[in-house]
Amino acid sequence: MTDNTPKLPKDERVAVYICHCGGNISDAVKVEELEELARRIPGVSVVRRNTFMCSDPGQQLIIDDLKAGNADRVVVCACAPHLHETTFRGAVARGGLNPYMYEHANIREQVSWVHHGPGATAKAAKLVQAAVAKAGNLRALEPIRMEARRHATVVGGGIAGMKAALDLARRGIDVTLVEKSPFLGGNLARLDRLFPTEDKAADLLASLYAQVTASRRITVLTCAEVVAHSGYVGHFDLTVRRAAPTTTEDLELIARFEKAGSPLGTFVPFVGFAPVLPATAEETIAVATGAVVLAVGFRHYVPRQGEYGYGDNPEVVTLTQLIEALAGEQPGGQLMVNGRAIRTMALIRCVGSRHIPGVDEEDENGNLNQHCSRVCCTASLQAEREIKQRFPETVIYDFYRDIRAYGRGHEEYYCGASRDGVLFIRFEPTGRPVVARSPAGSDNPLTVTVADKLLADRELEVPVDLVVLANGMVPGDTAKLVELTKIPTGADRFLLEVHPKLRPVEVKEAGILLAGTCQAPMDTTEACAAAAAAAVKAAAVLSRGYVELDPFVARIDPELCKGTGACIEECPQEGCMSLVDGKATVNPALCTGCGMCVAVCPEGAIEVNGWTLRQYEAMVDAIVAAPVEA
Amino acid sequence: MTAADAPKILILATEDCAYPGANSVGQAHLTYPENTFLLRVREPAMFPEKFYLDCFDKGIAGIIVMSCGVECPYEGAYNALAARINRVYQTMKARGLDIRRLRLTAICTVCNRAFLKEVQQMVDLMNELGAPGSEVKATSPAA
Amino acid sequence: MTSPAPQDFDALVVGAGIGGLQTALDLAEQGYKVAVVDRDPSIGGKMIRLSKVFPTLDCSSCITTPKMAAAAHHRNITIHTYCEPKSVAKVNGRFEATITQKPRYVIAEKCTGCRLCEYACPTYVPDEEQGGFGARKVIRVPFSNAIPQLAVLDAENCWICGKPAGKCMEACPTDAIDYFQKPQDFTIRARAVVLSTGYELIPDYSAKAFGPMSGHPNLITSLQMERLLAPHGPYMRVLRPGDGKEPSSIAFIQCAGSRDHTLGVPYCSRVCCMYSIKQAMLLSGALPLADITIYYIDIRAFGKNYEQFYQNAQAMGIEFVKAKPSVVSATPEGSLVMKYENQETGESVTREHDMVVQALALVPAWNPAGVIDAGVADDGFLKATSPKLQPTLTTQEGVFMAGVSAGPKDIVDAIVEAGAAAMEVSNYLTAQHAAAAE
Repeated sequence: MTDNTPKLPKDERVAVYICHCGGNISDAVKVEELEELARRIPGVSVVRRNTFMCSDPGQQLIIDDLKAGNADRVVVCACAPHLHETTFRGAVARGGLNPYMYEHANIREQVSWVHHGPGATAKAAKLVQAAVAKAGNLRALEPIRMEARRHATVVGGGIAGMKAALDLARRGIDVTLVEKSPFLGGNLARLDRLFPTEDKAADLLASLYAQVTASRRITVLTCAEVVAHSGYVGHFDLTVRRAAPTTTEDLELIARFEKAGSPLGTFVPFVGFAPVLPATAEETIAVATGAVVLAVGFRHYVPRQGEYGYGDNPEVVTLTQLIEALAGEQPGGQLMVNGRAIRTMALIRCVGSRHIPGVDEEDENGNLNQHCSRVCCTASLQAEREIKQRFPETVIYDFYRDIRAYGRGHEEYYCGASRDGVLFIRFEPTGRPVVARSPAGSDNPLTVTVADKLLADRELEVPVDLVVLANGMVPGDTAKLVELTKIPTGADRFLLEVHPKLRPVEVKEAGILLAGTCQAPMDTTEACAAAAAAAVKAAAVLSRGYVELDPFVARIDPELCKGTGACIEECPQEGCMSLVDGKATVNPALCTGCGMCVAVCPEGAIEVNGWTLRQYEAMVDAIVAAPVEA
Repeated sequence: MTAADAPKILILATEDCAYPGANSVGQAHLTYPENTFLLRVREPAMFPEKFYLDCFDKGIAGIIVMSCGVECPYEGAYNALAARINRVYQTMKARGLDIRRLRLTAICTVCNRAFLKEVQQMVDLMNELGAPGSEVKATSPAA
Repeated sequence: MTSPAPQDFDALVVGAGIGGLQTALDLAEQGYKVAVVDRDPSIGGKMIRLSKVFPTLDCSSCITTPKMAAAAHHRNITIHTYCEPKSVAKVNGRFEATITQKPRYVIAEKCTGCRLCEYACPTYVPDEEQGGFGARKVIRVPFSNAIPQLAVLDAENCWICGKPAGKCMEACPTDAIDYFQKPQDFTIRARAVVLSTGYELIPDYSAKAFGPMSGHPNLITSLQMERLLAPHGPYMRVLRPGDGKEPSSIAFIQCAGSRDHTLGVPYCSRVCCMYSIKQAMLLSGALPLADITIYYIDIRAFGKNYEQFYQNAQAMGIEFVKAKPSVVSATPEGSLVMKYENQETGESVTREHDMVVQALALVPAWNPAGVIDAGVADDGFLKATSPKLQPTLTTQEGVFMAGVSAGPKDIVDAIVEAGAAAMEVSNYLTAQHAAAAE
């Protein structure tokens, strides 16, 4: 943005308006006296009073004075600015003046309502004096308008990525969908039926996949990764690399896909959809985009070797593995897992979740998973119910800490599992169940032992045929992405939003959004809602083809700037400030107007529009100056 | 002492937290002394060290920086602010100014009691210390 | 009286809590014109009335007010408060909503929010905005950060204190008081509707569960505790309502009405574990010497960083007891006597607490029956037709839902869902627009 405002005229003329607010102000502040005092402040050209400045007649006073050329800047002394600052800026604009040639003096909440004695008028006069001093240093400002490309990039082709891509496309925005593996569908493709609707994951994915591939606005790139990123909201330039898959996981999926022998574009259970054959050669694609939605998903926690006997005993499986077994062929009236008949089983919850420092063991990278994985409780109940319904003779022991069946329709699974006879046994994090091979000659291969408080902490021993570990969700491999985009991760190592309460799908950098389980564990409903919420934020930026930003950004005076670079070092926004031809420049699209650069500039060459240091100095001068005499 | 010659206290109040907090005090019709002057700021991290020292030179007796604290909406700004205030303290000490004249605190939008407490403490202190620079000759515990 | 001319909008949002406001903002930012109606005299819903929020412990007012102001000042958003939707019907593919403006007994166009009427009013009644603790005037601006800042008179308690007019009418400098105001209907036409009508606490659980003890002043609800903890609450500190003493032992009863097939509702209300932990933490800050006990069935700390928050509470010394207690009697000193069986040890215990907070179940605040064709599920919340892929779709095309009206949820989940609803509305409007262009 260029600022062509001429230097301040020495003969600025400030109009001051004093509101009585019925009596809210005038009962404590002697407004006639204040009017007289205001008249004597140098630079003040006109002073008027009104019972309610916010009323139409009050605003008309401003408009009339400006149209008559009585003033070139305006101060209204009234209530707190958040109530009527915009009202009066509007009146200033209607009077033909730039709306930023306006300053507000808060003489209600910060004078008449807190100072009830005779000093209230003098205090109000000081605030008016300060406001006039600031007004003398105002300059005209215009909102910053940046063009924005009507194109978004979605990274990740799981349920959240496909949903976000589709939502943006439906809104008329072109989308490039970048998926690392050769398949669309993500982790959801590796599930069977979903609680609480009992929808088939395959059906939901098929419906999204059909729409994604049918949309002329969506370009799908599989076997693809974003390898470079630059620019800012509305103008991101990405480099995407397509290459032949090399990871073990991808190769396993490809093997399963080939074994299934299904044509391209059809669903392969526990694999997903292949829109095209896996890439065989490397290619680099430049993507010019306006916003980036990250939907890179999660990984299932894989228990450590020996954790609850996992890896040491073929009878110990994860919940993910149990779900796949249940989805497969189950001939006869007996639950079969890995070729073994299961009559009695144990399920252990919070495996890889809810770790406690000092109690649980860190992984090889020193990480604990202190978070709750949110979905495993109900997913476990769902699996237990299914087993009880299909194989009613199966005995199920459920070792739990808390049953977190929080969602709509989830509690029904808990009630149902209890009704079906699942036996719930609570354990403390310090007294986790122990899985061991049963002594020779037992009917069951494994024994689960746990201290039971109800039995006065005596040990409860449960012989079982199968142990299922309800494994949680852990962050996917986001290291490269984090390095590229500088998006922070939380202590839980999931991607971190800018405000966990109010701005859950945004990150610090405008135009980059989070969708789904890359941010935290979620179920499908929640991931789809998050994807749509991310998409709507992208749509807000892109659908109009431009972004309009507040003018309150840093501005460099090139005549004063000596190019020390101190501001660039201090600026918290990556890429916002840079040196061009030895002078600092600001990218207004990235500037938040925090003013940290102002404080460190040795030449005093930087100001934040609308909030300048010079204005504050003028206000302090007015405050310490001798009071205006009546 | 009349309001006009009472030591002047400058309050820099963030527009997101402390400034609305001061308004909330007004809404509740609570009261505090008149020698307090609140300026609405976007983010106090914009003020260089010189600004504070100039204020004292100009005759401001005490300054309370009412920030958003850890709820600060600008990344890194609160830490930068706290570090800067610490550097101002060093210069104040060197100049013989009582560092209690400058205080960094966090006030939320409805922190009425905290606001009043901060203001009253500074007012009491200013009544004790007097004009800035007066402690240079006197022996001050913090100097 | 003539009805004002119908107003045309792209979307009508019913409910101006955090969910409704977020939907409105996400639509308005794309250039859509949005009308928002709310039954309360202020926007902000439940969130503006909370103390702090979990797990960040941000001051709730501080993070709600900017959203409220953003919506109120947005050029594409028009807000109508103190309104009830009377009927919302689809006519030729567009919705015609008849909205009833409830009488404020104050002419909104004239009122400047100066509160002179409030100062003049001689009658005090318990302040529902402060959980019934503290007092307010019969005519008042509802609370300090209410938007809009307009006075509202509660006709039930007004006895028109002077002759010929009350003191408020005498005090009003703009002649804004009108004792004879009647409900007035007006029409909003919109191409889509979003229901974000929120929740109330279950009203009758306390009486059913605790019988004669239910009215005890020291047996309070969770939302009342929010007010006691708010820095601008009724006492500006935590005191026991019964006698104004500082409580030294406070208990929380979890699942008060939730997960209770006989006395309450069968579902989990989803937020109570976390807000009770938050309240317990705030209490231990405000009353460092007090004993705080949370009686629970399961602690459902399932959201992002919630489990760590729970662990912190345990580390702070807050006691967690797995039990569902009953309040059986009160001591002469005003403490409440509870009986329970500790579900971990099997012991039967009788224990006194100075004050007891019931974490009451969330129930829908509004039923669309008779107003708008939108289905309701067995749990009373709005029915979703595509709960997995498009969780904000209701049973009527063009009608969407967000926030707790679509089932209990916390603030962050409500905000996410509100964004999702805005996305679905945008796509619905885009498709309509495309169809009209063909």
